[in-house]
Order: sequence, then structure tokens, then C-alpha cells
Amino acid sequence: MSTTAAPTPTPTQATFKPSYLARAIAAFSGWPGLVVKVAFLGVVNALAVWAATVLADQSNWPAFGVLVLFTLLIDLIYLVPRRPGLIPLKFIVPGTVFLIAFQIAPILYTVNVAFTNYSTGHIISKSGAITAIKENSLQPAQSGTTYAMAAARDKNGDLVLILQDSTSGKTYVGTKKGLTPIPRAAVTLKAGAITGATGYTLVPVKELAAIGQQLTDFHVPIGENAAIQPQGFDTAVPLQPTLRYDPERGVFVRISDGAVFRDNGLGSFVSSSKEELEPGWATHVGFRNFSRAIHDPLIRKPFLRVLIWTFVFAGSTVFLSFALGLFLAITLDKPGLRFQRGYRSIMVIPYAIPSFLSLLVWGGLLNDDFGVVNNLFHVHIPWLFDPWMAKVSVILVSTWLTVPYFFLVAMGALQAIPKELVEAAKVDGGGAFQIFRRVTLPLLLVATAPLLIASFAFNFNNFNNIYLLTGGGPATNDQPIAGATDILISYTYKLAFATGKGNDYALASSIAIVIFFIVATVSGLSFWRTKALESVR
Amino acid sequence: MNVVRSRRRLPYFFVAMAALLVALVVASPAMSQHKAQNLVIWSDHDRLAAVTKVANAWAATHGVSVQVVEKDFGSIRDSLSTVDPATAPDVVVGAHDWTGQLAASGLVLPLYPSKATLAQFPKYTLNAFSYGTAVKKLYGAPVAVENIGLIVNTKLAHVPKNFADLEAQALKFKNKKSGNLAIAVQQGANGDAYHMYPFFSGLCGYIFGTNKAGNLDPSDIGVANKKFLANAKLIDKWNKEGLINSAVDSGIAQNAFLKGQAAFWITGPWNSDTLKSSGLSFKVVQLPAISCQSVPFLGVQGFMITKFATQHGVESQARDLVGNYMMTPAAQLALAAANSRFPANTVAGKQVTDPVLAQFGKASVGGVPMPNIPQMNAVWADLGTAWVKSTKGAGATPARVAFLTASRNIADKIG
Repeated sequence: MSTTAAPTPTPTQATFKPSYLARAIAAFSGWPGLVVKVAFLGVVNALAVWAATVLADQSNWPAFGVLVLFTLLIDLIYLVPRRPGLIPLKFIVPGTVFLIAFQIAPILYTVNVAFTNYSTGHIISKSGAITAIKENSLQPAQSGTTYAMAAARDKNGDLVLILQDSTSGKTYVGTKKGLTPIPRAAVTLKAGAITGATGYTLVPVKELAAIGQQLTDFHVPIGENAAIQPQGFDTAVPLQPTLRYDPERGVFVRISDGAVFRDNGLGSFVSSSKEELEPGWATHVGFRNFSRAIHDPLIRKPFLRVLIWTFVFAGSTVFLSFALGLFLAITLDKPGLRFQRGYRSIMVIPYAIPSFLSLLVWGGLLNDDFGVVNNLFHVHIPWLFDPWMAKVSVILVSTWLTVPYFFLVAMGALQAIPKELVEAAKVDGGGAFQIFRRVTLPLLLVATAPLLIASFAFNFNNFNNIYLLTGGGPATNDQPIAGATDILISYTYKLAFATGKGNDYALASSIAIVIFFIVATVSGLSFWRTKALESVR
Repeated sequence: MNVVRSRRRLPYFFVAMAALLVALVVASPAMSQHKAQNLVIWSDHDRLAAVTKVANAWAATHGVSVQVVEKDFGSIRDSLSTVDPATAPDVVVGAHDWTGQLAASGLVLPLYPSKATLAQFPKYTLNAFSYGTAVKKLYGAPVAVENIGLIVNTKLAHVPKNFADLEAQALKFKNKKSGNLAIAVQQGANGDAYHMYPFFSGLCGYIFGTNKAGNLDPSDIGVANKKFLANAKLIDKWNKEGLINSAVDSGIAQNAFLKGQAAFWITGPWNSDTLKSSGLSFKVVQLPAISCQSVPFLGVQGFMITKFATQHGVESQARDLVGNYMMTPAAQLALAAANSRFPANTVAGKQVTDPVLAQFGKASVGGVPMPNIPQMNAVWADLGTAWVKSTKGAGATPARVAFLTASRNIADKIG
């Protein structure tokens, strides 16, 4: 169908003049092409080198190996000379790289997350969680006393802390061995801060940052477990751990009553009385998320209703938009129709405006008491507040947004139907509707069936249309999460991010996989069935 | 293009070498950059200039460098879970109701400011940033306090002495002309439990009770407690007379007040610039008490130290900046003024000169900090929906039923 193919040489001319396109491509052979190739390969290798350093820093060796392998492959494909087998690869590689990076890798990642417990409270690694629990278990002194602190060096140049108890006003020198009182007169104070101590040289302010890590690790032991720990550069606080970590058994023991907190296999330390230590960590939990989607009554109860509504929403949007778009395309197809271009341009406007904007504007237009629609026609239809009207509104607005797309598609597909077939049917005595049903429509569906299926799949997961217009609401009385216009994907979003425990990425991933199987099955069956239409020809 | 065959090998060798050279040249700055070690602070747009000034002043005295990065406020909390540790922030600005989620996930470090510093802060600001199921700890340095108040257009109405006075004035104004609103409070189709909270607390409702240790108790849900249910029929009365209409959303409410179609507006200090530039004469007060005091939700914003500070080896510096320097009155005044909020530090609070801010400060007395436990996520939608259903106008659900449903749904979600 291309009109820019290489032109056939006219028989009267002796010289063959290639097209502009062919000449442009030819210009890239030789030195210009080589420079471009070097530049691109250089950029690709630069990205690879940078990514490799980041991965090596994180000791992520599997990803490092994969990265090096792929980069070498790309370099080989573009640099090895004189192998005709590599030529197709040179064209496929860019698209494949992006396909893997933006489609395959996220899908694999989602599948991985679906089998973990990645959610609020289970974000970090186990070693990070142990460190955080130890940090959280520290309890400050009952009296709430803190110490004004100054880092100093003694006669030998070792680091010590000059401390003043904020409650009693007593002054001390703190070392890794413990506290030693020094006379109050030996310490000079200004506005509550320690500015000098006899026998010690204070570390200058500009050097404090350099010893920051030393200060963090500097603990002055007092009592059995407690220690005074610096907090920044001029405050120190006495802290006492309430939990003790036993690395051999891998458990936490509470010091006060000896309660033992064990790893429960699901990413938390739990005691026998079901007390849980926070934070937990991210770990693989098998099929737990999937079984939760099936067994938890909070999720299961509205699932069927939401599933049915999703099918109804996607199906009716596609059907109505296609029907209306086709009708408009046929109507505006009359040759010699005045302002034809004008009508067609107006038809495309809903498609041209970003749907994000138009959905928000429609939400305002359909407002019960203050919306333009109700005020213009002096009616009081609860467009977005009544469950059934909200469903109707959502379908209407979605159709409004999709009609231009099918209008354009139908216009193009109608041109492709050979006029001779229609004329033959007219000669055979067919009426307008019969011609449409027997000749036009089947040929049209052959061309547009894949687009209908794709549009169905798109609307099945059309989060924007639902969430921006009604937020999935209005709320229904039967259960707390799914609203009257919630489709599976917006329902998943609410489940994962709007229920009691923060963000549950793992649950959302597992339900997303279930949705994928539903959509894939429906699409697969549709494609299989519509092959039957091809035998019409 | 007729290249002699024997010279064919050379170009490809040169190509390979040239590509490698370009690669190394382009990659080297990227490699060296990620080794840099300075304190990284995430700030939102409004506070960017103030944070940069304060942090640079601190950095100058200690001879270190800070890097202040601008981020969208609403996305900071969730970004901390997914950020790359090499470029992760050491200090972030945050809202107090993020504390529970961030602390439960181990993403922020506990703070231990000195006793003298802590004494300069009202207890509720410190509680707002505190969390802990076993041991309650402070996880953030409070900087600014915000709360909503009742804005009264003093040309169209006078400051109400009590709630009955407010009701009478509002309804009289509404009935003067069609298109007028009685009280412009935003809800919208999905509700707005935050803006309706003064009414809710005025009717003696509460969200979570506190247990003996003083911690929020998610099992004690007060959305449909006895006192509130006894007062619930007042909501039906307001709905019938049109005092509150849930079809009003934020745009409609703001427009109505600014155009003189409403004499009363419920909003917060984020609109103080809009109010000042509107030319209207107004006063900010607390909503008058109904059956109990009509206190607003208090939002506290502040700075937190992330766990990445330890990984980057800058924990001491972060603790000094956040736990000490940012809690001093001078820094508090600068940081809070940056986006028109009232400073948390009481010494700084006495130095606030902006009259509108001072009025908002007065309207906050007795206010309740928004619960910062993760379970709060379950509450917003249901509480907002209960208000929407019961103030819908014609066909509204009786308030008692709506709030009992909400209470049951919340309990189901928290589990």
C-alpha cells in the first residue's frame, strides 16, 4: 500500500535515479554512518559502564553478569564484520532491548513481588530489620535527663566526651570505659553549651563532621546495659536496650521478662503471645497473597460483582463507541458533503484533549447541584451520587472519549472495502441495511476485530476513566472497599493502598497477575474465534 | 564505496576502539559523581529556599556541604521505600501522619533532642511525630503546625458567638439569594473527612481512643460512640435546612467565598495568600462548640532522618542538623514562614507577626493531631463517605445509619 516505494524506471530514460529516501539511506554509508555508529555504541557502552559500577557497589553480581553479557553481545552484533547472519539482528536489537527493559523486566519483577510480603512494615532486608529493632528497643532514662556534650581530646590525643547532666548540672568526662566526674569549675559553659575544659582540647567545630562516624560509635557505658550515646555534636543521651539479640539462635529476647521473639517465616519476629516487633522485612511467602485473594472475605465478597461490572463496562464502552463511530463514519462518508472536513475535525476533538483533563472537567460538569449539565436543563439527575446513575455516567463519558478513535478506524476501514462488492450487492437487489449487514460489516470486522479486542483489553483496565470521574464510588452498603463503579484494577488499588495497614504492594501485584490471566484468556479466545471470520473471504 | 579489500579490517578495529574511548569519556563523570559524600536533603517546593538557607548556614559552621533536592511533597513517603540507596536522602521533610508507616517499615531513625530543646515544643507536636508499639519514640523534628479554621467575611456577617448564632446567620445568608451557600465546606463525591472534622468533634466524635500507655488504640474506634450517635440527628437537621451540602467541592467552596456567595468558609493556612490578595475583610476563628468543643485536626510538618544517613556515614551530622539546629527558634521561624504556617517551637511562635497566621494559631487550641498510625488509612474514605451520604440533600441517609456503617467498615478493614 506504500506510495513511496522505489519508483519503476521509466522505459524511455536510460539512467536510473533513486528516490530521495534511497539516497538519504545511501548517504549514511561510508564516513557519516561510521561516525554515527561510533557515537551510538559509545553511548551504549558508557551507560553499561556506569550501570556496572552501581551494580558492583551494591554487590549485585547476577545483574552485573547479565549486564556485561548483554553489552558484549550488542557490541559484537554491531562490530563483527562480514557476517550476513547478523544483519537482521542489527535491526531487531534496539526494539528488543526496550521490549525487555520496559515490558518483560517489569512483568518478571511484578511476578516476583507477588510471591513476597512486600508491604508497609516489610520493606527492608532482614539484617536491616535486626539493626532497626535494636535501635528501636533503646529506651531513654526515665528521668528524661540528657547531657550537653562536647567532643574533646585528652593529653594523649584520644577522643573523649565532656558531659554535663542537664538535670543535676554535674560534669563528667566520658570514655569508652565509663564516666569520670570532673569538677564543675574545670568546665566553661556559655548559653548551655560546653566551650572548654581544663586538661582537654575541644575538637574545633569544623572538624566535628570528620569524626562524625566515630562519635556515632562512641558509647560511654553506665550501669549494666545502659550507655550514653552522642546524638549529633552537642547532645548525648543515656540509652538502655530493652531487647537482646541472640545471633546463634537468631531470636530476640526481651530483657525485662525473658520473652522470646522468633522469626515466624513471614518476615517478622513474633513472640508466643503474638506480640510483633517492628519493623519486619521483605521475604518470599509463596502463594499466601493468592490464597488471601481467594479466602479473605473482605476481598472475596465483592469480587464477583466487581468482575461482572468490569466486563459490562469494558464491553459496553467498546460496543457503543464502535457502533456510534461506525455510524458517524458512514454518515459522513458521502462524497460532496459540505463542511465534511469540519465535521471530521470536530469529531476528533475528544480524542485530542488529554483524557486526564476531560475526565476531571466531566466530573465537574456532572456535579449534582452545581454542575452545568443539571443547571442547563433544569433537572436534578444525581449523575455521580446514585450508584446506577454513576454506572451510566461512567459508560457515557468513556464512550464520548472512545468514539473518535473508532470513527477514525472505521473511516479508514470503509475506504478499504472494494466498491465493486457493494455495487454487485445492489445489482443483486439488496437493500441498504442488508448490504451493510452482509457485505460491509463482515469485511469491516475482519479489519477491525484486533482493534476491538485491544480496546476491550484497554478498557478492562481503564483505571483513569473510573478513578478520576467517580473515584470508584459512590460507596455501596454491602462492604467497605469496592464502590459502585469500581472495576478490578481500581478495586485492587484501593485494596492495596487504602486499607488498614499502609501500602500492600505484594497483594496488588498478585491481584494484577490474576487480572492478567483473565484479560489474556478473554483476548486469546477472541482472537481464536475471530480467525473464523477470515474464512468469509 | 569501492574500498580495497585489504584495508577493510582496519576501519572496524578503529570503530571498536573509538566506541570504547567515547564510552569511558562519557562514563567517567557519572562514576566519580556517585562517590560524592555530602548530606542530601529532600524538600518540597514551597520550603526549598528556606531549607537551603538554613542548611547552608549550618553547613558553613561545620565545614561540610549539603545538597537540597526538590521533590513533590505527596510522593516523598512512598519514594523512601523504592529509592536507590546510593542517591537516597539523609534528611526528608514530612507530614507527621507519615510517621507510623515510615517507622513501622524501619525507614526513619529515632531522635533524642536535648531536654532544653524538647521543653520549647508543645507536647502534642512531639506526640504527633512519635510512634512505637512497644517503646514510643520521637522520629521527627516538628517545624510547622497547620489547622483549618472558620473564615468569616466580616462585611457579610459577624463573628458568631456560638453555634446557634452561626447557623442562623448562615441560613439567613443562604436564603437571601439562590446560589448562595450557607457554610462553604468542601466535600465532593468522595468526601473530605479532614475538613468535616470540626463538625465531627463538635458532635463529640473521635477516631481512635488512647490506651493506658497514652498510645492510640486502633481497637477503640469512636466514629459511632454513644455521645456522637445521640447528637447525630443534628446532622439530619442541618441537611434538611441546607446548612451543609456534600455536592460542594474545594473549587466551588473557594469560588463561593471569594465571590461573596458565602459568608463562611472552612479552610486552612494554605489559602492565606489567596485570602489576603482577595481584598475581602475577614477573620479566622475556631468553629463554635456544638455539644463538645469543635476542634480541628492538627497537621504537623517536620524533618526526619532516614536510615540511609547511617549507611552513608553521616548520621551524626544529620542528627545535629535536625535534632539540634532545625529545632532552634530562628530556624523554626524561617522554615515555618516559608509556606505560611505557624512554627511548632513556642519561642518562635511568640515572634510571629503575620496576623492571619496568629489567628489560625488561636483557632488550633485544643486541636487533635491526625492519628499517625498506619491504620488511619482505613478511616479517611469511610468517614468521608458517611458525611457525604448524610449531607447529600434530598435522599440523604440518616446520619445515625451512615456513621454506624462507617464504624463497622473501619473495624472490618483494620481487622
